[in-house]
Amino acid sequence: MGNIQADECVREQGAQITAASDAESGGVDAKTAGALVALAAATAACGGGDSSTTGGTTAPPTGGGTGAPVARPSTDAQAARFVLRASIATSSGTVAAVRRDGYEPWLNAQMNAPNAQSAEQFFAAVGYDKVDANRFYNLSGPADNMIWSQLMSGGNSVRKRIALALSEFFVVSVNNLNIPWRSPAIGKYWDILNEHAFGNYRDLLEDITLNPAMGVFLNTRGNFKADPNTGRVADENFGREVLQLFSIGLFELNQDGSVRTAGDGTPLETYSNEDVTGIAKAFTGYDFDFTGIGFTPATQNPAQMIPDADYVRNPMTADSTKWVRPRGQSFHSAEEKSFLGITIPPGTGAQETLRITLDTIFNHPNVGPFFGKQMIQRLVTSNPSPAYVNRVAAAFNNNGSGVRGDLRAVFKAILLDDEAISDAGLSNQTFGKLREPILRFAQWGRTFGARSAIGAWLVGDVSSVSNRLGQAPLRSPSVFNFFRPGYVPANSQAAANDMLAPEFQIVNESSVAGYVNFMERTTNGSGFWVRDVKAGYSAELAIAHNSTALLDHLDLVLTGNQLSQNSRNVIQAALDDEVVTESSDEATKLKRIHIGVLLILVSNDYLVQK
Amino acid sequence: MFIGKSNEISRRAFMRRTGQLSVAGAASSYAMGLAGIGEAAAFNASDGYKALVCVFLYGGNDYGNTLIPYDSVNYGRYNAIRGGGAAGGGIALPRDSLASTVLMQPDEQVLTDDIRYALAPTMPRLKARFDQGAMAPLLNVGPLVVPLTKAQYESDNNSSFPRPAKLFSHNDQQSTWQSSQPEGSVSGWGGRMGDLALSSNTNSMFTAINASGNAVFLSGETAMPYQVSPEGAVLIRGTTNRIYQSAAARDAMNSLLTTHSGHVLEGDYARTTARSIEFGGFVSDALDRSVLATDFGSGGLASQLEVVARLIGARNELRTTRQVFMVSIGGFDHHDGLIGSHEALLGQLDSAMDAFYRAMLELGVADQVTAFTASDFGRTLASNGDGTDHGWGSHHFVLGGAVNGGKFYGTAPKVSVDSDDQVGRGRLLPTASVDEYSATLAKWFGVSASEMPSVSPNIGRFANPDLGFMQTSN
Repeated sequence: MGNIQADECVREQGAQITAASDAESGGVDAKTAGALVALAAATAACGGGDSSTTGGTTAPPTGGGTGAPVARPSTDAQAARFVLRASIATSSGTVAAVRRDGYEPWLNAQMNAPNAQSAEQFFAAVGYDKVDANRFYNLSGPADNMIWSQLMSGGNSVRKRIALALSEFFVVSVNNLNIPWRSPAIGKYWDILNEHAFGNYRDLLEDITLNPAMGVFLNTRGNFKADPNTGRVADENFGREVLQLFSIGLFELNQDGSVRTAGDGTPLETYSNEDVTGIAKAFTGYDFDFTGIGFTPATQNPAQMIPDADYVRNPMTADSTKWVRPRGQSFHSAEEKSFLGITIPPGTGAQETLRITLDTIFNHPNVGPFFGKQMIQRLVTSNPSPAYVNRVAAAFNNNGSGVRGDLRAVFKAILLDDEAISDAGLSNQTFGKLREPILRFAQWGRTFGARSAIGAWLVGDVSSVSNRLGQAPLRSPSVFNFFRPGYVPANSQAAANDMLAPEFQIVNESSVAGYVNFMERTTNGSGFWVRDVKAGYSAELAIAHNSTALLDHLDLVLTGNQLSQNSRNVIQAALDDEVVTESSDEATKLKRIHIGVLLILVSNDYLVQK
Repeated sequence: MFIGKSNEISRRAFMRRTGQLSVAGAASSYAMGLAGIGEAAAFNASDGYKALVCVFLYGGNDYGNTLIPYDSVNYGRYNAIRGGGAAGGGIALPRDSLASTVLMQPDEQVLTDDIRYALAPTMPRLKARFDQGAMAPLLNVGPLVVPLTKAQYESDNNSSFPRPAKLFSHNDQQSTWQSSQPEGSVSGWGGRMGDLALSSNTNSMFTAINASGNAVFLSGETAMPYQVSPEGAVLIRGTTNRIYQSAAARDAMNSLLTTHSGHVLEGDYARTTARSIEFGGFVSDALDRSVLATDFGSGGLASQLEVVARLIGARNELRTTRQVFMVSIGGFDHHDGLIGSHEALLGQLDSAMDAFYRAMLELGVADQVTAFTASDFGRTLASNGDGTDHGWGSHHFVLGGAVNGGKFYGTAPKVSVDSDDQVGRGRLLPTASVDEYSATLAKWFGVSASEMPSVSPNIGRFANPDLGFMQTSN
């Protein structure tokens, strides 16, 4: 192993780091590539026994030139395993790139790259933001098409993978956005998650608080201060859920995620109902900012004036002169606001109140472990060790340069941690997580080069359990996401082993069947939801005549070689049932490819990601 | 370290839960008739088929606009607290809209402050069922560990005056209603009733059936809920048909779907798939032969209740004697937009539950099937502008031929935001507990007094193990 490592090191020292040429890698621009070369040169160590042969150690958070060896995968399987957590899909080219560059340099490069196209740009490109006979301003279908375009194409699947995880923590669902331009509204929300994915939690928290889609979803928009005459008080929805779900949770936590208890063993609550009533006042007085917003008559009914879609993109404002019906007074509560042990004096304005409120939430010691543990659950394993949670929380608390809330540091800590990378997880039968259906469908599309024939990505809402995927991104049934972080399936081996298994909350006799049917029609392009979005299978067509090579390739890129020998034997037999040669026609080759892809995507050793 | 606990579950229980189907008319060596089990016969299923149907209202139903004070004094209080009608920026329903849904209780029943109630204007069918004696409202019911006064609640003395954990949190209160414990609980009282009923059912795997999303309510210690979609059992095409015209692919899929490497999560997933395959065809055939004339109309709750009704119609074919079902409808978290949206949801509830009752009449089992509502919590009586916020106690409905309907149960709360039966802004302090609610239903279902604590764990702390809304002479 030492010689191989030395050879790799020498090659790497002299090589120009180039981006993998396939769609998966997301493209690295020349400036970043140059930086990578410098980074690699500074940190690579040639020869010498180090732990990079096992692909194990966690690199320092800033990844700077400390002289420490760059940890690299030793095998294709290790590389694929890493990429399949950090992003939506992988390819043989990406696997090679990670082996060449090392885990952290590759990850840094991905985190540096912006998205090729935002949701806003997608809507503009397709014409989904125009007022015309289609009445797109009333439809949520454009949002479905946008998100599948994002997840399946356009590079940078690391940023999007993380944004998807964030969308299941800071939940907004397009199902309940009954406003004009609901699709651009959720699109802007998605763009915000992507923008801040490797930025700072505090900035993300502020942007989502003021975001119109969130404002409509959790009622901040139009939430007015109390009126003693009618007895009306501030709406508590956002105030409660921002604490319970988006920041600190219900119980005080130690940094390793365990619950803090009082002397008698009862868990310590983080907030009371009075705190909720108090914090609710902080989120009063906001509505849509209509500055610069024009109106267009609806095509079918010129008397109905449709605002420009930008009104759901501007942050909400407490300045009521900017509302669609300008008002002369503030609707922000001028009362004293007491919550979480602080008191904001009466008369404090909306902006200052917001700053103090979000800072108070942000600085609560619960945020690191509460947020960190759930992100580990989304990306790596449903049951992280307390020590793992502790390390991730520590990265949240201080990224190594004294900064709190650095999400880049948090996600690097999660993905590069030894508990994630070490091969020990592969033989631990309680390690890992069930891939949720969204990830399976997105992985299929991105792996096999899904493209929209007409550019509009006509996938639609795939929520239906009985005749679709059973889960759709940005369409959670409520602010509580598709599944809870603490879900334990009843009467299960997981329960008997004291394991959490969040993704099992949507597993039942109907959904497991619906998924198989969905993938059967997805894989060969016969489903109505893939009438426009077609997979190319170009890499697979080249090797379809060699069933073993095809199986090896699919096993690697879909599962990171986690198919058991038994599964491989069964699938190989199905692949070999019909003869395919290099001169076979495309339909024959595709048939073999479809069989291989489908059988893997329904195998239990694919479904559980380890 | 992986621990294979399946061998620790008693073989008998394991067989009951996942044992082979007994198809009517076919002999099966695994048929689990009553004679084959020899369990203690404390659970009484000798009086024929019975089923409970939980209708869960997700989001926290606003009790204030569901059962509305109708007599002029109490309506005045309600109207004032709710800020008047929608035209003036309040959330009170206009009194004249309630005239045709007034619930006239018997003369001898006098409620708190002599209150009279009307159902929401969109619930005329349930009003009719009340009048016929088939529907009973249960007032101010909510989760309690022990009975609590307001002073005890506000004392924060958790050891002397325990209260449910995580009050006012949606997911935890959904779990608490369904299982007496917050989120993370693994068995609910519907499932625990199912545990006791397992041995009454030849095909015990159909004891607990869920027509909506996974919920702890139907999970028992042993009983495992079987999930069915409103469209019926979802069958995996590739297990019976060639895949991409390849029989080999179909055979491979059949093998792969139910095998796994030993990983805990793979095993759990594979087992669900195995259940889906094993039971799906059987349930599908049974449903195909179970046709109802009753028209349920369209909508989520209606289609869930329709498939439940058809499963009840197929009970002989399914070979079940005691069943617990769950259906649900969401959207009740009316922090805003209460007026309009809430009545529309209640209208769906009214229509779907009434269609279900009519289907039970059609099947001749109206006296044997009881539907009841539940929700995360009630809400505040006071408004937040155009909606209400999370509360605690709420009013619920029980519907069926075996219900002692036409009058009220529980204690009517005062219409107030500062009385002793509310804990701020009109959030009700429950006077009837979920344990008493579930115990009353369980008793009718056949659960004996000695077994009641396994269903309703706190029942020993309450005076009323039977709230009286079921006819006890059955």
